[in-house]
Amino acid sequence: MSFIISALNVLSTAVLVIGLIFVFLGMLGLLRLPDVYNRLHATTKVATLGAFGVMASIVLNVGFTPIGIKAITVGLFLLLTAPIASHMIGRAARRHGVELCAESVIDEYIIAGETD
Amino acid sequence: MKRYLYYSIPLGIMWCFVHGTVSIQNFLFGLLLGPVVIRPFRELYDFDQELSFKREVRKIPKQIIYFLVLIMEITKASIMVSKIVISPKIDIKPGIIAVPLRTRTNGGITAIANTITLTPGTLTIDVADDRSVLYVHSIDASYPESIRMSIRDDLERFVLEAFE
Amino acid sequence: MNLLIFSLTFMVLAIIPCIYRIVKGPTIPDRVVAMDAMNTVIVVMLGVYSFVQGSVFFMDVALVLSILSFVGTVTISKYLDEGVVL
Repeated sequence: MSFIISALNVLSTAVLVIGLIFVFLGMLGLLRLPDVYNRLHATTKVATLGAFGVMASIVLNVGFTPIGIKAITVGLFLLLTAPIASHMIGRAARRHGVELCAESVIDEYIIAGETD
Repeated sequence: MKRYLYYSIPLGIMWCFVHGTVSIQNFLFGLLLGPVVIRPFRELYDFDQELSFKREVRKIPKQIIYFLVLIMEITKASIMVSKIVISPKIDIKPGIIAVPLRTRTNGGITAIANTITLTPGTLTIDVADDRSVLYVHSIDASYPESIRMSIRDDLERFVLEAFE
Repeated sequence: MNLLIFSLTFMVLAIIPCIYRIVKGPTIPDRVVAMDAMNTVIVVMLGVYSFVQGSVFFMDVALVLSILSFVGTVTISKYLDEGVVL
């Protein structure tokens, strides 16, 4: 029995470190990528997965106590709302007139009401 | 009255999760608070649609499969974007692609847009006014046709099974 | 305690690019993205702190902060898009 508990502890520490590394890589992407849309790729996917990993490691360690259940709630909420927030920011940026970066190869977007 | 009870069940479960202890008293208390939340936001629920409890319950296993597939896809997507971020010289070909849609319902379009955002290299920007086209930003847009094919064949099938 | 110090140091290092992007960012959407990302990092810090201290209250703070971050992001985006909030 104690073997299972120590294995769970090791697993949860590993998931915690992996999640922290993913959050850090997401912020590094925010620093390095060239324009708003590519930065959204980094923060939406990588940082959200990192936060979900940290919350999952807390659940693996403490089980279904109040801390664990609230950690599940926070993780699911982040996973559900990150795509919606990124969709809103991307649409606002495109209509606000933010241009794509210089490396872009294709742009098929048509703003409603604008004749081309 | 029955409709209020039916829409209150998810709110009761959510109350249990926010409170921190899952028990039958908490669920009943959340169920009691549900109509207070639903009544002011009545326009957001479609009250004229007929409800069938059995059909919603039958969709739950498909939705669990969809959630597991989503976790797998988001892990792959994160590893791909992380590789781009830590490479010493950033070499990407981004672009915005128009992807035609088959479904027209609100729930289907929302689920497809969220799924596209969480899969490798793509991000939804906007929906056209007549709901026939999604505009997708891709981090590697050198082959637009293959991205359209993969969205239509792989993703849309799972989402339509789970939410239609 | 060792784990706590390691995690908090790592997350403070992760906040530095966000602050750079908020101050320097060429356009307003850049700043909104950086604010959203910084809120995610702070939620992670609060979660780790709550777990190590064994206290539930910091997890409540994390939940409320993630809700407020989502609402704020959507509000600013809608203002940029249409010029009105409601």
